[in-house]
Amino acid sequence: MEIISDMLVAILQKGGSIKPTHLMYKANLSHNQMKGYLEELEKKNLIAKNDEKKDTKEKVSIKITPNGRTFLFKYSEMKEFEKTFGL
Amino acid sequence: MKIVLTPDWFLGFDVLIEIFSFIVLAIFSILSLRNYKLNKNKKSFLYMGIGFGLIAIAQLATIFTKTVLYYDFNLVQQVGQAIITSNFVSSVDIFYHIGFFFFRFLTLAGLYMIYRLHSKRTYLGESLLFGYFILLSALLSAEMYYFFYLTCLGILLLIMRNYYTIYKENHFLNTKILLMAFGILALSQLFFISPNGTMQATANVIELISYTVLLFLAIKLRKHGKKKKSDGDNIRYVGGNSAKRRKH
Repeated sequence: MEIISDMLVAILQKGGSIKPTHLMYKANLSHNQMKGYLEELEKKNLIAKNDEKKDTKEKVSIKITPNGRTFLFKYSEMKEFEKTFGL
Repeated sequence: MKIVLTPDWFLGFDVLIEIFSFIVLAIFSILSLRNYKLNKNKKSFLYMGIGFGLIAIAQLATIFTKTVLYYDFNLVQQVGQAIITSNFVSSVDIFYHIGFFFFRFLTLAGLYMIYRLHSKRTYLGESLLFGYFILLSALLSAEMYYFFYLTCLGILLLIMRNYYTIYKENHFLNTKILLMAFGILALSQLFFISPNGTMQATANVIELISYTVLLFLAIKLRKHGKKKKSDGDNIRYVGGNSAKRRKH
């Protein structure tokens, strides 16, 4: 869950869209790890791949979806709650 | 024996304060259960949700009982009639006693759950023993009303000790606010111990202050994460930078 939130935060910090290589570096993940997480996030509709520049491999970018933003809000609230109550 | 110690001039206001308390407690219960839905591995969210939920239901029990008692609804006549005709008891008092018993029992059970959240280990025997004492305290308080407030005060002091330990570690403002709210609530229990009407009204007002502080905390928790960054993006500040700490 922490990794997922780190990835989404990294995308947001880049203005809502990020290149996969940047995301890998920002979230401090290996290529294989990131691949797995990206699939999971896409399945949960938290991120979407930018299909417009599909043919040029380098320019593929990952966007955060409104669902992803909602998830981050809830996660942030949960962390705050957890810290407050020392859970 | 007097069922309610609230002075006549304060009747009704106490119910309003209890409605407010119920709303605040329900908010905390919903917030905890929502967090549990998000992270089902963390059972403490579930227990906290149940704890606050039990106290909220306890408030509902007292609101219902007092409303019937103060405003003499038809319902009380029907219940009273039913009890008298069945020769169960010759008084409608039992209706109030059951209502207030549920208030006391659920409040103590909820407080105990909140207290136990920070215990490293929970032994079944210990919990059963505590459950027995809670039941005993709720039953005895029908005759010795102060017994309930003394027990509440005891558990609240234990809860405060837990949050004080947490605050000493994290120095987090929210924990300080929480500690303050429980402290004010504990103080109100001290006033409730006195049979004096004015003291009872004062206790209610102190209780209102403590739940207002808790509501403020709930709003603060909700607002967290909506902070705007300078670039205008609605980024959420999620914990520390765990990515940097992560090792492959």
